[in-house]
Amino acid sequence: MADLLMTGDAAVRAADVLLRANGGRSVLLRMGAPAVSGAEAEELGLATPEFQDMELAPVVFRKAESTATLLVSASVVAGLVGTLAFDSAQVLFETAVGVVVDGVVFVIEKSVASQAMGEPYCYCLTLRAPVR
Amino acid sequence: MQNAKDTFYEVLRGRVAAVNPDRTIVLRGVVRPGVLVTENELVSSVNLPDCFRLSWTAVKTDTHGTMPALAMQCEIAYETAGTAVNAGMDRGRCLGAMDGELLAAIGAVPQSSLKSNYAGLEFGAAAVAMKTNIWWGDVVFGEMKVDDDRLSRTATVEVMSYEEAGEL
Repeated sequence: MADLLMTGDAAVRAADVLLRANGGRSVLLRMGAPAVSGAEAEELGLATPEFQDMELAPVVFRKAESTATLLVSASVVAGLVGTLAFDSAQVLFETAVGVVVDGVVFVIEKSVASQAMGEPYCYCLTLRAPVR
Repeated sequence: MQNAKDTFYEVLRGRVAAVNPDRTIVLRGVVRPGVLVTENELVSSVNLPDCFRLSWTAVKTDTHGTMPALAMQCEIAYETAGTAVNAGMDRGRCLGAMDGELLAAIGAVPQSSLKSNYAGLEFGAAAVAMKTNIWWGDVVFGEMKVDDDRLSRTATVEVMSYEEAGEL
């Protein structure tokens, strides 16, 4: 029984349960839509790209004075990485425009994966609040 | 001012692509020459490696002539971690290659170009040639910096132009 529980999958499920139990909520990961090939207007800042928002849930959001932290379930990240055909979760977060929390866009400064048995079960994102 | 900045970017992008056609980046799913203007892209806290990132900093003006003259400082930042095939051990060579490409692109004769107005691109129109040129000085290389596995450098170029009537 103990051996069955000692897997990366078990850690992912346990993390999901803990995130839901600790105020698990949903936020939106804002991605820029693919650019138009050869569109000089976009390269010169004349055209604004379109955006698409992807739901991230369950997550836990903590905000201090100047920084905010988001704990994201690895299962939902794995789904997004596969759906959007990214190489890795790190590239996904580096490419994202930011995270929309209650209508406010936070910039992703850093992403760190927590792993068990070599498999990520949770991602910790350091967010920067917009300057007002 | 904006037309001079846009023209310099277009010229540099074309010249870098000519010097090294393999110097490309993938930005939002599209492959393009490895030159970008930071202020024209989405805000990101991640610096793209192996490409030239242009930022416009100081501006000086001289209003004593018949047309106002501008001198704008363009900072060109670039960094590399080398190639994965060589486990990053060629990062010094890769940075040296980027130094060479930038030197060739900016130092190529002529160090000037006819200024163009690209505002029409927003509505699908073509760029319009203007009446004056932009011109620029030699590239000045800054110190190489080491940041974890990446080597980086910032070079600067002074780009000059005249402000024509009606320019913003």
